[in-house]
Amino acid sequence: MINSLAGNYRDLCDLLIKSTELLEKNGQHLDTVLETLDLQQHSLGMLAVLSIKLSLPPPSPNSNQPQVSDYQEIVFTQVQEFIMGCNAEQIRYAPETFAELCDMLTRQLIEAKSPLRGIELLCCAIRKLQLSDSELTLVHANLCLLCLLAKCFKPALQFLDIDITSIPPQDGFPFDVKHFLIYYYFGGMVYTAVKKYDRALYMFEAVISTPAMAVSHIMLEAYKKYILVSLVLHGKVSHMPKYTSQVVTRFIKPLSLAYHDLATVYATNNTEEVRLAVTKYSDTFTRDGNIGLTKQVVASLYKKNIQRLTKTFLTLSLSDVASRVQLSSPAEAERYILNMIDEGEIFATINQKDGMVVFHDDPEKYNSPGMLCKLEEEMTICTDLDRQIQRMEEEIMVNPQYVKKACGAQDDDLTTGQTSKISTYSM
Amino acid sequence: MQVDAPPEDNDNTEEDLYLVENPTLDLEIYANSYTGLARLYRLMYIADHCPVLRVEALKMAITYVMNTFNVNLYQQLHKKLQQCVSGMSLPDVASGGSQDVPSFDQTWVENKTKKAALKLEKLDSDLKNYKSNSIKESIRRGNDDLGDHHLDCGDLSNALKCYSRARDYCTSGKHVVNMCLNVIKVSVYLQNWSHVLSYVNKAESTPDFSEAQGKETSQAILTKLKCAAGLAELATKKYKLAAKQFLQANLDHCDFPELLSASNIAIYGGLCALATFDRAELQKHVIFSSSFKLFLELEPQLRDIIFKFYESKYAHCLKLLDEIKDNLYLDMYIAPHVNTLYTQIRNRALIQYFSPYHSADMNKMATALNTTVVALEDELMQLILEGQIQARIDSHNKILYAKDMDQRSSTFEKALNMGRDYQRRTRMLILRAALLKAQLCVKVFILIV
Repeated sequence: MINSLAGNYRDLCDLLIKSTELLEKNGQHLDTVLETLDLQQHSLGMLAVLSIKLSLPPPSPNSNQPQVSDYQEIVFTQVQEFIMGCNAEQIRYAPETFAELCDMLTRQLIEAKSPLRGIELLCCAIRKLQLSDSELTLVHANLCLLCLLAKCFKPALQFLDIDITSIPPQDGFPFDVKHFLIYYYFGGMVYTAVKKYDRALYMFEAVISTPAMAVSHIMLEAYKKYILVSLVLHGKVSHMPKYTSQVVTRFIKPLSLAYHDLATVYATNNTEEVRLAVTKYSDTFTRDGNIGLTKQVVASLYKKNIQRLTKTFLTLSLSDVASRVQLSSPAEAERYILNMIDEGEIFATINQKDGMVVFHDDPEKYNSPGMLCKLEEEMTICTDLDRQIQRMEEEIMVNPQYVKKACGAQDDDLTTGQTSKISTYSM
Repeated sequence: MQVDAPPEDNDNTEEDLYLVENPTLDLEIYANSYTGLARLYRLMYIADHCPVLRVEALKMAITYVMNTFNVNLYQQLHKKLQQCVSGMSLPDVASGGSQDVPSFDQTWVENKTKKAALKLEKLDSDLKNYKSNSIKESIRRGNDDLGDHHLDCGDLSNALKCYSRARDYCTSGKHVVNMCLNVIKVSVYLQNWSHVLSYVNKAESTPDFSEAQGKETSQAILTKLKCAAGLAELATKKYKLAAKQFLQANLDHCDFPELLSASNIAIYGGLCALATFDRAELQKHVIFSSSFKLFLELEPQLRDIIFKFYESKYAHCLKLLDEIKDNLYLDMYIAPHVNTLYTQIRNRALIQYFSPYHSADMNKMATALNTTVVALEDELMQLILEGQIQARIDSHNKILYAKDMDQRSSTFEKALNMGRDYQRRTRMLILRAALLKAQLCVKVFILIV
């Protein structure tokens, strides 16, 4: 009954949604149905059957533990085969069902404590759903979650590094904002984990600057991490963009007092005080799962203080460095300085004989071919972005709706509300 | 802006911080340069901060307060004196220090309270009388008298109310100015500095302020206004503005002992100018200023300090500054700011000292500035971080090198940073456009998975 062939996929989707109940009732026969369907030709049908199968509890006439895991293993293989081999064109008609399938798969893998297995699969799933690289799908967030749990970040990075430029509607409904927030929140966490703090900050900023009329817990958590990452990166809390929703300032700020206190103490450059603040609020930080980041914050203050020294001193003994940045011993100071020289954060040499550090200026003179190349690269990125903005503007300018409204506004003054809407579009 | 809170905070926190041991102050002369509450407040401040002069100051305050209706303060002062004497009499009973302590005069208290109440009643009924006759001028005067009386009793808030009420009955510019002066006076006692400033402005903007009166009186009023404004700016830590206000004062017309003495103006103005003016300004507005020169003559030590500073003899200058520090600590208005002003003066000296050099030996610098090399290093570090000195310290050889900025490199760096900033913002913009296009908005309470 479901194996109607090619033709109008849209109608097929509707039919499949209607027959969900029927399928659920006949859970035990699903495998036979699957066998009759062809992977390439009946992708939509298989999708429906599989997602029903995953949502049903494992069959349990006289089940014990090994049988359950065996059953899950079989299901996983089935889903794997489906995702790898399905027809991309067909499943794009039911992205929500497809995403649901991926979501259920993710949950099962997390339960089975083997998140690593799903990563490759979800990458493939995302590619199938996407029309272009820069399109956001509902599966993105799941992939990030699996990568975080598996502590394997590379696969997620290849998607995170591409900026999202379009968010397609799902089955005619607007994209669910929850998935957007989760994706950017997890993305920020992935970047924090690989210590790309500037991208992490960008991700968290995207979360907290999302238009909002109510408090979202994802935004709250993102805001907390935003403060911490911002401290690590810039040494102060960066300003939030002007278009950030009022909700953030009004409701979220009072909910993250501990973080604001930490930021205030951090501004004094006193490592001892910052340590005290971290210990004082350690309960809150641990509960929020941010204790590791706060440790990074403390370490970053030591680094920042050493960087301040490079601005004021040409030479300084290691023991002086230790006392000035409140490190416990010259040896520890040496370790910090060595690390920072390695990472290119300061330019210095250590004279072990008399325990002196000699700070240098930045040796970059901006006259090497390499630097020229880098400059040109940066400039290309900038011009590309500029062109993209122009293209978007042109798109809006030729949009019949916009033209109608823009012209209409000149005719009469009643359309002030509409013009303001247009201005939000054009920005 | 927090204007009311800081002075009190300072008093409370710094009270225990410093006690002046060896002041070189002649209390008699000092006290005589003030009248009214100013004298009482100043004596009390000294009593609080200088154990050596405490008894004497309290005694003088008590004798003075006997001339007024301020019964509350009398009782307060007596309590303090009693505490202080009983604390002291144990070690030196032999000297008989407690003999000439005035005893608490209960009958005086009762008499005064009665008299004050009588006078208040009379003034009140007078005022009511005027009001029923609705003669503007009389009502104004009645209010003023009532204010004077409240002030005499030490009831500042009521005094302020009465003086302000007179405002509605002012008929000429002269009256407005007069009312402003009264309010300013009380506000100074109350340490309500924003009030002081706003009334100074009001008085200065009164249309016929200069014409209404003779040249002489208008000069005197102008000086008074400038000094009140200066005091308010000083108290709110705007030292440069304070210096500018004080520098406009005129010695010949400087007669308002209920507010400040001429030597106060010299010290406040001089120190603020020293701390905030650059060399050229110092020369033009302080050293070559004919009017302020006269003030400086009153305080020869300060004059020497300013001249030594100008001649770049910093060691001498700083030494002199240290000498007058104790006396400054006993001045109720400048005491909370002494440390800040001194640091600023020091920093200015450091900056000026180093400005002509490309490299300087820190040992020599330390001797020239009366300090140790280690302390100097810390000070310099602070200044470099604040960007006031463009230099780097060679801590190994103790030499300070002026830093040569590479304009080209820094321009490249700036350009690169700007580019990155642009990229970041544009990306965010594109993302936001996509967000709005998809009509994403957090509308309901969402729980994290």
